[in-house]
Amino acid sequence: MNGEKIVQFTDENWLKACYQHLALDYPKFYKMDNLSKMAVLGVELLANSGIFSQIDTNDLELLFANSNASQHTDLKFIDSYTVAKNPSPSLFVYTLPNILTGELAIKHKWYGENSFYISPNFDAQLFATKIHQAYKKGVNYCLCGWIDSKLEANSTLSEESFLFLVALNEENASLHQEIEQLMTQYNQKEKE
Amino acid sequence: MSELKETLKTQIISQLSLEDLTPADIADDMPLFAEDGLGLDSIDALEFIVLLESNYGLKIADPSQGREIFHSVNSLADFIEKNRN
Amino acid sequence: MQIFITGLGAISCIGQNVEEHLDALLAEKSGIKKGIHPYSQRYLVGEIPLSNDELIAQFQLKVGGSRTGLLACVAAKEAFSGHAHHPEIRTGIISGTSVGGMDISEVHYRNFMENHTHDVAQYSEHSSGNSSERIAQELGVGDFITTISTACSSAANAIMLGARMIRAGKIDRAIVGGTDALTEFTINGFRSLMIFDEEWCRPFDESRKGLNLGEGAGYIVLESEKSRRISNSVALAQLKGWSNASDAYHQTASSPEGYGATLSISEALKVAQLHPDAIDYINAHGTATPNNDLSESKAIKTVFGNSIPPFSSTKAFTGHTLAAAGGLEAVFSVLAIQKGYLFANLNHKNVIEETQLQPVVKTTKVERVRNVLSNSFGFGGNNSTIIIGEL
Repeated sequence: MNGEKIVQFTDENWLKACYQHLALDYPKFYKMDNLSKMAVLGVELLANSGIFSQIDTNDLELLFANSNASQHTDLKFIDSYTVAKNPSPSLFVYTLPNILTGELAIKHKWYGENSFYISPNFDAQLFATKIHQAYKKGVNYCLCGWIDSKLEANSTLSEESFLFLVALNEENASLHQEIEQLMTQYNQKEKE
Repeated sequence: MSELKETLKTQIISQLSLEDLTPADIADDMPLFAEDGLGLDSIDALEFIVLLESNYGLKIADPSQGREIFHSVNSLADFIEKNRN
Repeated sequence: MQIFITGLGAISCIGQNVEEHLDALLAEKSGIKKGIHPYSQRYLVGEIPLSNDELIAQFQLKVGGSRTGLLACVAAKEAFSGHAHHPEIRTGIISGTSVGGMDISEVHYRNFMENHTHDVAQYSEHSSGNSSERIAQELGVGDFITTISTACSSAANAIMLGARMIRAGKIDRAIVGGTDALTEFTINGFRSLMIFDEEWCRPFDESRKGLNLGEGAGYIVLESEKSRRISNSVALAQLKGWSNASDAYHQTASSPEGYGATLSISEALKVAQLHPDAIDYINAHGTATPNNDLSESKAIKTVFGNSIPPFSSTKAFTGHTLAAAGGLEAVFSVLAIQKGYLFANLNHKNVIEETQLQPVVKTTKVERVRNVLSNSFGFGGNNSTIIIGEL
C-alpha cells in the first residue's frame, strides 16, 4: 500500500487468508472468482486508510484492465460442462472480467461510470489517458486497477493486482509525468 | 431423513462456496433465501438446480418452482425424498 | 465538437451487409432458427450460415483465426470501405467483445484434456484484445487500438470511448463497435443461467421467457469535422450523446426499478443536450428476459414520464448478439434516421401488465426521425446508452 508492504501471504490460499486478516464479513466474497476477490481485497486495503470517507463517492469512476480477461475462470467453466457435464451458473457469471467492477459497485453502492479494458501489459498511458478524459468530463475521482490472473506456460497461475485511487484537480502533473509516476510505482511493486 | 439433511448441508456449503459456514450453522428450517436467513440469491438458486440434478438425478425445468423447493433444508429434503424413486 | 457517423458495417443472421439488414428489417424477417451445430441444434439461435473458411473466402479477408475476429473484420471492412488512409488522420480502433477467441480455446482445451499436451500458445487468440488487432491488420490502420470487455454493453462503450477520444483531440476518426461469435461456451453459460427461451423470444411481451442467442458484428465510423474535411467522407448521421452508469445491484440481474438504466438514459440526454421530447425512437436493449424488459420499461417510464417515444427491441430479428449488440443497433439507429423508419418489435402480442408499454409491432414508415436512443445493458450492471441524431 503506497509502496509499503502491509502483510504477506505465501500459500495458495492467500486470498482467503487475506480476507480473514482483514476481517471483512462479506460472505459473498467466497463465491467470487480470483479477479473479483483481488479487487475487493485491494479496495478494502484502500478503504481501511479512510480515504473513501473523505471523498464524494457519487463522483467516482471505476477504470480497470488486465491482459487476459477472465481466462482462468473461462477454463474452469469449460470443465464444468465438459467434464462434470453440468455447466455451473456461478462460474459462468465470472467469465466476464467486468464483473469485478460490478462487484465493487454492488458492495460499495457506487453508481458512477465503470469500464474494463484489455491490454497485453500494464499500460500506464492507457490509464493516464482515461483519467484525463474523466477529468475533462467533470469527474473528480478515479479508482483504477490492473487485476490480472494469467495462466503461465508451466500451468501455474500468475496473479497480480495493482490499485490506485486518483483525485483529479487542476494541480495534477502533466499527462507525461503521470505516466512515469504510474510506471515507477507499478515496477516497484514488481520487485517485491 | 436427518442423514440426508446433514449431507445436504455439506453439499450446499460446497456447491455454493459458503466457506465461512459449517453444517451446524444451517438450521433445518432456516429460510435459505431470506436476508436474515442464509441470504442466497438467484444464481445460488440455479446452483441448487444443478446440485439436485447431479447428486440426486432430479430435474427442475422451471426455475420459479425452485423458490418453494429450496426454501429451507427441510423443504429440500422433503422434495428429494418424495421424488427420488 | 460534432461527431459524424460516416460508415456502417454489419453482419448477423439477418444479413451479411448493411443493405441486407435493412431489407430484413423492412420485410420483418427474423433470422432466428434452429442451430446447425452439435452444440446449438437444440436451440433457436441467430447463426450466420457461413463457416469460417467461407467468411474468409467470401469477404477476401487477409487473416484467419477466431470466428469473432473474422466477423469483426467483415463488418469493420464494410464500415471503412471508401474511407481514405491519410497521414493526417489519426484513426483509432475500439472494439468490444465478450467471447474473444473462446471458439478456438474451447477446442484446444478439449484436446488438452483428451491428449494431455499443453501448448499455451494455442490460447494466444483467447484474449479479447485479438479481434481489435485483427481489424487493424485487415484495414491497415490503427493509431490507437483498444478492446473493451464489458459484456453486452461493450460495443456501446466502444462507441462512447471513440467519441470521447475524438473530442479530446487524441484521434480524428474511430472505427467502433463490437463482435461476438456463437460458441458452445456461451450456449452452456446462458443455459446454466436458465434465461433461454426454447421458443422464439418475445421482447416486451407479458409472456416472455428469455432470450435467443445470436452472433454478429456491427461497426460504425466516427469522424471529426477536421477528419471529414481531409477525407471528404459523406456524413450519414451524428453521434450526439452517450453515457455509462452502474446499476450496483447484482452480477447478472438488473435492479427492479432499473436504476442504472435510468441513470444512463438521463445522462445521455444531458450529454446530447436534448429534451426527452426530442427522441423519436428508442432501440431498446430488450433481450426478452423477464428481468431486463421489466427493468428497462420502468427506466423508460421514469425518464420519459407520460410521453414515451415509439420503442422496439430488434433482438427478435437478430437474437442477442452480446458484445456486438450495441454496434448492430447503432447501425439500425442510423438506418432509422436515414430512411425514416421505426423497426418492428417482432413476436409481440401482449403488453407487460405492470407497465402497459406498447412497442412498435410493425416496421413503420414515418416522416422524420430526428433522434434515436439506443440502450445496451451488460452483466455486471454495466448500463450504456447512446443517442444518434440527424445531421
